[in-house]
Amino acid sequence: MKDQIMAPDTVAADIVVSGRGVGKTFADGSVVALKNADFGIKRGSFVSLVGPSGCGKSTLLRLVSGLIAPSSGAVTVHGTPVTGPRRDISMMFQKATLLEWRTALDNVLLPTEIAGTPTQADRNRAMDLLKLVGLGDFAFSFPAQLSGGMQQRVALARLLQTGADILLLDEPFGALDEFTRERLNTELMRIVAEVGATTLFVTHNISEAIFLADQVFVMTSRPGQVAKIVDVDLDRPRPLSIQTSPAFNALVADVRETLGAV
Amino acid sequence: MVAIQSPDAATGNATDAARQLRNRRIATHLGIFLAIVLSWEIASRAGWLDPLFYPRPSAILQSFWLIYVVNGNVWYHLGVTMSLVFAGFVGGSVLGIVLGSLVGLNGTLRRFLKPYVIVLEATPRIAVAPLLIAALGFGVTSKIAIIMLVCFFAPFINTLSGVMNVNQDKLELFRAMGASKWQILRKLVLPDAIPVIMAGERLALTAALSGALVAEFIQRDQGIGSLILVYTRNLNMASAFACIFTLTLLGFLIFRGMEVLDRTIAYWKHEEGRTRVSARRRKAMEGQS
Ligand SMILES: Nc1ncnc2c1ncn2[C@@H]1O[C@H](COP(=O)(O)OP(=O)(O)O)[C@@H](O)[C@H]1O
Ligand SMILES: [Mg+2]
Repeated sequence: MKDQIMAPDTVAADIVVSGRGVGKTFADGSVVALKNADFGIKRGSFVSLVGPSGCGKSTLLRLVSGLIAPSSGAVTVHGTPVTGPRRDISMMFQKATLLEWRTALDNVLLPTEIAGTPTQADRNRAMDLLKLVGLGDFAFSFPAQLSGGMQQRVALARLLQTGADILLLDEPFGALDEFTRERLNTELMRIVAEVGATTLFVTHNISEAIFLADQVFVMTSRPGQVAKIVDVDLDRPRPLSIQTSPAFNALVADVRETLGAV
Repeated sequence: MVAIQSPDAATGNATDAARQLRNRRIATHLGIFLAIVLSWEIASRAGWLDPLFYPRPSAILQSFWLIYVVNGNVWYHLGVTMSLVFAGFVGGSVLGIVLGSLVGLNGTLRRFLKPYVIVLEATPRIAVAPLLIAALGFGVTSKIAIIMLVCFFAPFINTLSGVMNVNQDKLELFRAMGASKWQILRKLVLPDAIPVIMAGERLALTAALSGALVAEFIQRDQGIGSLILVYTRNLNMASAFACIFTLTLLGFLIFRGMEVLDRTIAYWKHEEGRTRVSARRRKAMEGQS
């Protein structure tokens, strides 16, 4: 659907994250975590990265974030090669990793503090983001006073605080119970659509991957590679019930087949 | 600090019951304490205990009156000992924290220093006290050096391990945010290590009081330790006991002071600390907007 809206000559310019022949072999040389990955992510799109554990999902994400350097090939963001962490990318992990000695608000402000001295506008923005993730009343609570789900919401607000237009999420709600995870996923979809961010979302849950995404990168292991890219042409906003529709099930079958084929 | 109680009736009843239980416990403790003191007094008066070495509680009480009020000589020595403890504790722990951070953050330094740390850990620090006196001479300097020596190790080791065992997930988070080394140190490594550093400080403070007494036992010029020596030599055991009980009280006060300090510095580890800082941060935010 989307492709028809775009004029042909803007297609290349609209790829904000791309990888060409990206590979990663870890120090001792025996573990090929990622082999020869080629991909492009369109501006404002939501991409899920799905695959069994150990197939190199986190590695791919960390390569895009600049936390680690590729052994071969290159990752390009906004037209420039990634050489290290950068301000137009923001990352979130499976654990909330909040600083226990800071209030929720001060945790959200951390990236701003790292980048410089927070202004009143930054503080107000952090406050607004906490309200956006439903934690307006907990801005001055400490992590020890928040549940696991609430802590992950704070981490989500911190992710958005940077104002980066590329968001990388590594199994962000993987440690939470299913109900909390579904609710947070729904909110995440709403929020990234609202801020118009380009999102790369790692999960090992097939349904979750499809439900959230415009595109699913299906990864297989030994060696880790992007085996297939599946387009998800489902209308938005998507109700939870869409997961029982025939179109959805066809996509699940497609992904499952790719995963099972290796 | 007493947490604000909700005016809820159930809570009120609960605290009433808790208070009653507490009062009963205090009464029991007081009863046991009086029984011990009384049997001591009786045993001494009946001649079962040699009053020369086990002075009667009444005599100790009298000595308290004597050394604190009539002569008032204990105050000076108390002041001397406390100043020593304070100076040695601060000096030793600052040294420990600074060196612990340096060694913890520098892998090369750590590798080269490790054997010495192990040797130092196995050596009773107090054994070095006479050498320090020989090197620095009698006087305040060598006393403080002895206290610094016994205070140094716990903060050093704890800072070292606290700094080294920084949470890897948090480190990755800081790296992903593009934090500088200095920012990682100030905003992550040091605050993260505070609780374990404070645990080291607690040990150091206990060691400081013992260190001060040993230093005074050796030098015998002034301070509570010297006073105990003098009283014992003159067979004035009641006054010696009064000094020892003074130290008990001092030790208790120091321990409480340390708790207060811990609650102030590692505030996020304690409910009331969180409440206090939370309110302060709220105020700061509201004041600015
Ligand atoms: N720092 C590292 N050193 C050595 N091997 C690593 C390192 N990080 C990841 N690996 C290996 O690379 C492979 C892919 O890991 P990862 O990207 O974390 O997988 P996933 O996130 O899909 O579970 C695994 O076999 C893992 O053991
Ligand atoms: Mg992973």
